[in-house]
Amino acid sequence: MAPVIVTEGVTRVYSDDGVPVHALRGIDLTIERGEFAALVGPSGSGKTTFLNIISGLDTPTDGKVWLNGKLLSRMSGNALSDFRRDNIGFVFQAYNLIPVLTVEENIEYVMLLQKIPKSERHERVLAILEEVGLGGMASRNPTQLSGGQQQRVAIARAMVSQPATIMADEPTANLDSKIGAELLDMMSRLNMQTEMTFIFSTHDPMVMARARRLITLKDGEIERDEVRSP
Amino acid sequence: MLKIAFRNIFRQKRRTVLTALAMIVGFTLSSVFIGWSDGAYSDIISMFTRNRIGHIQVHRAGYLDKPSLYDVIDGYESIGEKIAGVEGVEAWTSRIYSAGLGSVGDKTMAVQIIGVDVGREVKATRFDRKITSGAVFSEAAAREAILGVGLARTLKADVGREIVLVTQGTDGAIANDLYAIIGIAESGDKATDRMACYLHIDDAQDLLVLDGRVHEIAVIAEALDRVPKITAAIEAQINDTTLEVSPWQVVAKSFYRAMQADRQGELIGRLIILLIVAIGVLNTVLMSVLERTREYGVLKAMGTKPRQIFGVVVAEVTFIALGSIVIGAMLGAGLNYLLSIYGLSLPQEFSYGGIVFQTIYAAVTVQSLAIPAVTVFVSAIFVSLFPALRAARIAPASAMRAH
Repeated sequence: MAPVIVTEGVTRVYSDDGVPVHALRGIDLTIERGEFAALVGPSGSGKTTFLNIISGLDTPTDGKVWLNGKLLSRMSGNALSDFRRDNIGFVFQAYNLIPVLTVEENIEYVMLLQKIPKSERHERVLAILEEVGLGGMASRNPTQLSGGQQQRVAIARAMVSQPATIMADEPTANLDSKIGAELLDMMSRLNMQTEMTFIFSTHDPMVMARARRLITLKDGEIERDEVRSP
Repeated sequence: MLKIAFRNIFRQKRRTVLTALAMIVGFTLSSVFIGWSDGAYSDIISMFTRNRIGHIQVHRAGYLDKPSLYDVIDGYESIGEKIAGVEGVEAWTSRIYSAGLGSVGDKTMAVQIIGVDVGREVKATRFDRKITSGAVFSEAAAREAILGVGLARTLKADVGREIVLVTQGTDGAIANDLYAIIGIAESGDKATDRMACYLHIDDAQDLLVLDGRVHEIAVIAEALDRVPKITAAIEAQINDTTLEVSPWQVVAKSFYRAMQADRQGELIGRLIILLIVAIGVLNTVLMSVLERTREYGVLKAMGTKPRQIFGVVVAEVTFIALGSIVIGAMLGAGLNYLLSIYGLSLPQEFSYGGIVFQTIYAAVTVQSLAIPAVTVFVSAIFVSLFPALRAARIAPASAMRAH
């Protein structure tokens, strides 16, 4: 398997009222294509900071990040935007759908940025909606959906442009356990079918139970890196 | 992006209404302000030109700077015929001016003798409408005089009495004669009315020994905005370097300059309106950007470029501005139309350039809509740039932590 993400000595230091706070301390990590991995650890361990850095949403104070073989620190703002658009799908804890767009418009947003023709966009949206169990809901507004349905739309939005990696930050935190489990099973299935890499930042034992690799962070360092068999 | 911008308008309806209200009120105030001002100045110019000086005047070169009894126009009838042939000329008339003394009974006053060509003056400047009592001159000269209302009051003169005029003729001799007062005239210009003593042009030529010559030819144009072109055409038609053809702005230089200076004052009004719009828009747009910080962060995370986020904010303001301009234009044009019909009566009359006004009428002009439209649009877009930049610069990682 080829590596999708490689980090080398990634360090992130925040300034809190002039006092330096070490969120990450020299993390070296390689994630292979098709992994279903979870970053776990207590609050403040640096999970979200690390996820943001490997997604190109934040920059490390020190160290290097390669995503799909590209060194992120070499990219300008616009190039990084394009790179995120084409290579990463995001799933957030709070779903973060655009409230003024319908389900279909939310899902096709990234494809629109990629200038994919309308007919193809429409086809792909309908297919992925079936895939996530939301067939027939394309024209609904996000406010007309339950939390679980909104998160399904968010997953569909993240996956529809077929990025190499899906970054999911606490995707089940706002859902009840039944719906959370359903969504995780769905993502696991999609991971198997598509070979997209899934990286979670989570506290949720259900995610940990399904992850095939558990990377435990503590005080900004990798405490344990455990690969499990499916 | 445009879809998001457009739909964002309806997201926080109250905020959109507030933003639009700032623009609509700004537009309407500005439009009425300009329409009213255009109407008032147009009335003033019209009164000043149509009723008095005409739109264009022809004199002997140098007469306007230093009027002299001896700077006369020879053969004015043929010149007048040439002027009448110029396209856009509605009417023309000739005049004679001289200073003198006028006596009625035991009262004597300095007067301005104005010889008028009755038939043409009526057609050009509606001279007959200025007669407040008595009558206008008969066609043929009959030793008759019409006094300005102020002069008549000072001399305690009335229709039916006689006035003795003493002046100097072009032959250098003292000229005097007795005229029957047949009318009292009110031109609307108090300074003129205090001194004017109108004579039939033949009587004036006779008194001043001018023998078929005049000092001035006044021309009325069909439209005020065509005056510059008509002035040039008359100049070409007359083709006489000893004569000077001047538009009303040159004839009434100080009046025109005062009016232009007054209009500069309107800029302050426009600035205030611009501030109303700017503060209203800045406040609400900044608020909406702050509220949507997380959303912009998500859009950026998904690959939206900063300039596209910038465009969403500016486009939203543009949509609101365009809608507000349409509503503002309807309100502004409607109010100006009503004010152009009914006018606004002032509690006290006011005088401008010697012309007295009691009611001011607005006008629906292109600039009463175009200037507010440009002002509102530019100021709205300008103040939206700061919140738009702020939105464009949002760091996605920290934005998504925002609540």
